[in-house]
Amino acid sequence: MRPLVLVISALAMTVSPARGQDPGRDSIIHLLHRATWGARPGDVDQVARIGITTWIDRQLRPEAIADRTTDRFLARYRVLSQSPEELVRLFTEAQRAARTRQAGGDTGTMMRRQRRRDAPTGIQRATLELQQATATRAILSERQLYEVMVDVWTNHFNVFMAKNLDRALTADYIASAIRPHALGRFEDLLIATARHPAMLVYLDNVQSVADGAQPPQVIQRGRGRRAMMQRQEPRRRQGPQGINENYARELLELHTLGVDGGYTQDDIIGVARVLTGWSLDPRSRARFQFHRWAHDQGEKQIMGQVLPAGGGENEGVALLRWLANHPSTMRHVSGKLCARFVADVPPDGCIDAGVHAWKRTDGDIAAVVRAILLSPEFWAPVHRESKFKTPFEFVTSAARALGAAPDTSFGLARLLTRLGQPLFMYSAPTGYPERSDSWVSSTALFNRFNIALAIASRRAPGLALRADASLDLAAVENNLLQGRVSASTHATLVRETTGLRPADARILMVGLALGSPEFQRQ
Amino acid sequence: MQRRVFVKAGGLALVSMGLDPIFLDRAAYAIGPRGNGKTLVCLFQRGAVDGLNMIIPHGDSAYYRERPRIAVPRPGRTGGALDLDGYFGLHPAMAPLLPYWQAGTLGIVHAAGSPARTRSHFDAQDYMETGTPGRKSTEDGWLNRHLAHAVDHTETPFRGVAMGSQLPRILRGSAPALAVGDLRAFGIQARGAVGDKLSRAFESMYAGEAGGGIVAKSSAEGFEAVRMLRAADVGRTSPQHGATYPQSPFGQSMQRIAQLIKADLGTEIAFADVGGWDTHVNQGASEGQLAVRLRDFAAALAAFATDLDERMADVVVLTMSEFGRTVAENGSTGTDHGTGTAMMVLGGGTRGGMHGAWPGLDPADRADGRDLAVTTDFRDLFGEVLVKHLGNTDLGQVFPGYTPDQGRWVGVL
Repeated sequence: MRPLVLVISALAMTVSPARGQDPGRDSIIHLLHRATWGARPGDVDQVARIGITTWIDRQLRPEAIADRTTDRFLARYRVLSQSPEELVRLFTEAQRAARTRQAGGDTGTMMRRQRRRDAPTGIQRATLELQQATATRAILSERQLYEVMVDVWTNHFNVFMAKNLDRALTADYIASAIRPHALGRFEDLLIATARHPAMLVYLDNVQSVADGAQPPQVIQRGRGRRAMMQRQEPRRRQGPQGINENYARELLELHTLGVDGGYTQDDIIGVARVLTGWSLDPRSRARFQFHRWAHDQGEKQIMGQVLPAGGGENEGVALLRWLANHPSTMRHVSGKLCARFVADVPPDGCIDAGVHAWKRTDGDIAAVVRAILLSPEFWAPVHRESKFKTPFEFVTSAARALGAAPDTSFGLARLLTRLGQPLFMYSAPTGYPERSDSWVSSTALFNRFNIALAIASRRAPGLALRADASLDLAAVENNLLQGRVSASTHATLVRETTGLRPADARILMVGLALGSPEFQRQ
Repeated sequence: MQRRVFVKAGGLALVSMGLDPIFLDRAAYAIGPRGNGKTLVCLFQRGAVDGLNMIIPHGDSAYYRERPRIAVPRPGRTGGALDLDGYFGLHPAMAPLLPYWQAGTLGIVHAAGSPARTRSHFDAQDYMETGTPGRKSTEDGWLNRHLAHAVDHTETPFRGVAMGSQLPRILRGSAPALAVGDLRAFGIQARGAVGDKLSRAFESMYAGEAGGGIVAKSSAEGFEAVRMLRAADVGRTSPQHGATYPQSPFGQSMQRIAQLIKADLGTEIAFADVGGWDTHVNQGASEGQLAVRLRDFAAALAAFATDLDERMADVVVLTMSEFGRTVAENGSTGTDHGTGTAMMVLGGGTRGGMHGAWPGLDPADRADGRDLAVTTDFRDLFGEVLVKHLGNTDLGQVFPGYTPDQGRWVGVL
């Protein structure tokens, strides 16, 4: 039996010669795999026409790329124009309603849950809209590399939308902290995330106050309830009573220096003390406010630097600027970008290219990304198709390859949840993993097979797929799989679709192609 | 690496000879139990459980001094700890586990943890899952290395199973291991002949994957598992002996593990995650956030033991968490990242009681003056369980860079 097995695997390694021989074409496919949310039919030719470097440079200036179709499509999502104040109000209303239901002993009927699912309202609708709009943007936007970078930073500076107020604040976090800086300066991006209420809530900096600090007055919120609690526990003061290290630790470990970036537990405490008082406007709970009363005015020492006593809000800003431009940060963040764009284990040469550009431009993200995409490591053939798509990449690339437009339901949001990557819903501050082996498993593959078949037979909510009678095997192999089809996949496509009615054969061809091993890689 | 035999002899060759492997394999799997019948169930409390509020040292006055707002009261008081041995107590929300303590089948190792100095969740979880504290380059997990090196077993895709859609690092590696969510929804969602046709199509595309990497492997193991599940009709077994699992994700995980064990699919290692332990803010005392998590945790464990009943003689449940939390409460009535925590061992052959040395909570006895110190290296505990319960004969392979020494075992089995 062994020789037979060997023959089959040898065949499997030969790539279809029709398209596979042209190295230029393979390079373009690689670029589109990594720097976009998936290639549409015709994209390869377009890049070939204008040239790789020109394409990259255009993509790095998204403001110069018209994107009216996307804008028109997104106009339907109210969440994108709602103020954080308004969303916080919706969130508070939902909480109050839930409390009332609970107090009345009503734990929610099956019917009501079903209704909430079918016709979500208020804050629940807003969060689904945000997930759906984000996936829609990735699929439709002409500013592909920019949308990839928005995702990179959303994940790097992860927040968890299910953590209380973040249900309301995440939309503004993406809109005002991440998107404006996604190809700007890292320093500005870092500061914008640090000051955003969504991050302050997520990593508990709102809870962090100088030891012994006391608010000038108790904020009247939720009125009677708070007063009652104080009566019951007369000796226990309410509210935070000391520093909380959570944000400080992740700021150093994940956002800037990296876990081996050269800091100690004492440095974490120092950073936490510097950032005491970075909190929310207590009235709206939607905007940043510095609370002088909560700020630790003492002297701090961080990684050998002495921050003299009496520094206020600016002390934190200066610290963030210093961290943003620390050599450890350059390496750590460049490494993460290389892991995303090049290989799960980022090659040193790629990281060096990123760090070099970072130094030269004081952390201009567009320059760093450009350097990485133009580094020899990026183009090394060994990295082609070496990464397993995340569920988000799987869904967007399927939609783009098929020319399927997102519909107006929340189907894409739900599809991603089913595939294990609900947007803005990763609870740990690392964000979703980038490494392929985190996404490969039998269950994950079965999920993809089933969803591939559902998309092909137009049963997948979220995507409007046109019936295309002209679709034949060659079109499927060229458009969906870029002509890079293994012998066993090709043989399977032929064998399983032979003798079927044309309409059924098309469904099966598309379903199998989307579920094929080739389509899972990029 | 002597693995993957079952796939080579199974699907691929037969498909190319035109036979229907689904039909053949279904017949083959109607045969009885595989393996030696022992199962280890590892539960990871991800996010660093506060061991001091789970297993409460109510006899240590420093506990009450350091936790004025979140301490669980002494036994006998309202909301008090459930006394275990006059010094330690169980969190009151974990009452469902008290009968097992009383029956002598619940062992607790306090002040267990990692020798590596890190308070990063992600590093600490990696260390605990790879089994190489302090070394980040290890790719595979210690449970997988046990599977890879243990001899004398029958290959089955269910030998190492993780609940959920992703394989955790602890089970990644060269030995077959499977991630499963809902057992009934596992596989291609189409019935009858169509389902068989689709399964065969996907299976043959992936069987032809060049290099047979992790993707091909996951696919092959998945289809193999589907056939076995179908033959055993696993998803339909309901809980026995009056067991009631909580309707939580963790409750469901425990119920599925019990279904797999009862189906005799050769499950040697089962793994489940349970989250929600990173209690930086308002963690509560007898009631509150942590109590809710502990209630769910204990109820699911108790339901599992009730469900399996006498089969628990062959099952050991081992709980773990990447580190513990600060001895003192923080400024926001929570606790920050610490060092040592408590781990539990339940089931077959467990010597009930408190195990391991108690370092005390006085500042001088703590790690860095702030955390519960570690007196039991997690490898000593995990190693003892592997050897005594699963008959592992080569711990050096499971925990590279570690010298096994029975003298350090706490004797929990």
